[in-house]
Amino acid sequence: MLSSTNNSISAVHLTSNIRQTIVAVLSVTFGISMYVFMNSFMTGVNKSQSDLAFSTLAHVRVYNDGPKDNTNLLSGHLSNNQLVNIRNAKLIQYTDGIKNTKGIIALLQHQPEATGVAAQVNINVFFRAGATKVNGILSGVEVENENRLFGTAKFVTQGNWGNLQYRTDGVIIGSGLAKNLSLKVNDNLNVLTGDGVSKNFKIIGIFETSIAGVDKTKAYLNIASARQLLLKNQDYVTDIMMNVKDYNLSSIVAKKLAPQIPYKVESWQMANGQLEAGSSLRDIIAKAVSLTILLVAGFGIYNIMNMTVNQKIREIAILKAMGFSGTDVTQIFLTQALVIGCVGGLAGMMLGYLVADAVNHIPFKIAGLSTLPMAYEQKDYVMAFVFGIITTFIAGYLPARKASKIDPVTIIRG
Amino acid sequence: MTTNIALRATNISKFFYQPEKFKVLKDVSFDVQKGEFLTLIGKSGSGKSTLLYVLSTMDTDFEGELEINGVSLKHKTQNELSAFRNEHIGFVFQFHYLLTEFSALQNVMLPALKLGKKSKEEIEHKAYEHLEMLDLKQQALKPANRLSGGQQQRVAIARALINDPSIIMGDEPTGNLDSKNTKVVFDIFKQLARQNGQTIIAVTHDDDFALNSDRVIELSDGCLLSSHTLHKHGF
Repeated sequence: MLSSTNNSISAVHLTSNIRQTIVAVLSVTFGISMYVFMNSFMTGVNKSQSDLAFSTLAHVRVYNDGPKDNTNLLSGHLSNNQLVNIRNAKLIQYTDGIKNTKGIIALLQHQPEATGVAAQVNINVFFRAGATKVNGILSGVEVENENRLFGTAKFVTQGNWGNLQYRTDGVIIGSGLAKNLSLKVNDNLNVLTGDGVSKNFKIIGIFETSIAGVDKTKAYLNIASARQLLLKNQDYVTDIMMNVKDYNLSSIVAKKLAPQIPYKVESWQMANGQLEAGSSLRDIIAKAVSLTILLVAGFGIYNIMNMTVNQKIREIAILKAMGFSGTDVTQIFLTQALVIGCVGGLAGMMLGYLVADAVNHIPFKIAGLSTLPMAYEQKDYVMAFVFGIITTFIAGYLPARKASKIDPVTIIRG
Repeated sequence: MTTNIALRATNISKFFYQPEKFKVLKDVSFDVQKGEFLTLIGKSGSGKSTLLYVLSTMDTDFEGELEINGVSLKHKTQNELSAFRNEHIGFVFQFHYLLTEFSALQNVMLPALKLGKKSKEEIEHKAYEHLEMLDLKQQALKPANRLSGGQQQRVAIARALINDPSIIMGDEPTGNLDSKNTKVVFDIFKQLARQNGQTIIAVTHDDDFALNSDRVIELSDGCLLSSHTLHKHGF
């Protein structure tokens, strides 16, 4: 009963000066919509950036980090009065690649976070066509798994990714590499390994990731053919790639796995600190910008509520003289602020969606993108609404408290 | 005897601090009987309005004791005083002071809705009765700012009466009215005191108004100058 009387007073206040109410609602709408838009945009940019980065980068990579440092072979075995001279020391036995790959792959696949595991045989080679020689990486891949992890198939501009499965003599090469070697589909490509093995392959496709460093140096072939090229058995693997559900948690997964695997387990953050820094910095900028907008909108509401209180100062005095308490007065004005906040918040979410959608249609044809990236995440909208309500609450509370402290005698007696 | 006392003021003193410290009320003490129609008179600046606002519980910055219906009000919080005012005191200002965004009817209903002791339908019915008594039934649904000054003042009186307060206070309630409307208001006050036993305390400049009341208290320079009983009231 009590609050419904206060609410009906709030309702009269809100509707009696509808233009002022609309201005207040609009300032909230503007703040919330910009918050939604900025966050959607930043999330979109970060997502497209990660998609681009993770087109060749796995969340977690297991590989053989090479032999340990052997430059001082006898350290710890010599006493002080002994002198030894070793010149030109060489390793005579060193295992490259990963042993017990089946066990490690099974272990990775059993991780609850894992979304996909793919083995690779990566070989440093010279690509040769006629007189031209280009240093690069020939990547032997499990065709289906590779596509599941990196979506490689969608980068293939000519030919068909799936054909790699059946063509043991086929390679798919980067667009930059093809250009440097003046090659096209169905041409022959000669590959020379570090061990001096030379073999001809047929180009069955060309891919373009838009990452120049990859497109200029990389070629894919079937993992079986890669093992053959190196004269290795069917268990031989140089890298095991693993993707997890949330790539931000890769470090944790890598740390957890490290003690169970006798090889280097590396998360993408460890390998690419700059990517992580960029992503975090963009997040911070987005938050800073959107909070600033909310703050400005909050000041708008504060101003309008303050104005309302000043305009109604006499009426507040009358209400108090009639027996309405300070709490009632606070409630009356706070209700108005919250109604403005809710209406403005809902309108803001809609406007934010519309702005985001419009910007999402602006053409942007760089690095594999066709339009400006945009993410539509429920979280952003909920946060915008919650922040909006909190801002209006604070912006409404201060004038409401002021109103509640009005002394009716001073106002009525003038 | 105490049961018949509506309001008791004991040694009430009050200071103004602007522009300099100044004692407006000097140890004012008096009792008001239930059902009494009391008027406060005095020259302007004598402190009569200031005294009324102290009695109304709106002004709490004073020294001395104030008791209404046997309840001491000196140590109550602002919110407690609001609730007390809502139930026990009806106030009519010199200027009507209606809420202009609300209709006449809503203005009258608000204190009762705040009190919340009756259903909305009962309150509306009662508000209509009061408006009818004050010859305002036709104006009930008009916004308050569309009424004439006399009509607005009568709406303000209806608003003061809606909760059947034991004390009705008026700060020059007829100050803005012509003689015909003044007569109407006076008669209503008199009737309330006689028939319902409600206590009336009114500040006035109008000698006729004062002379027709039960008792006149005259203030001068913050002191109680005289108290004349003119008519024996009620019971």
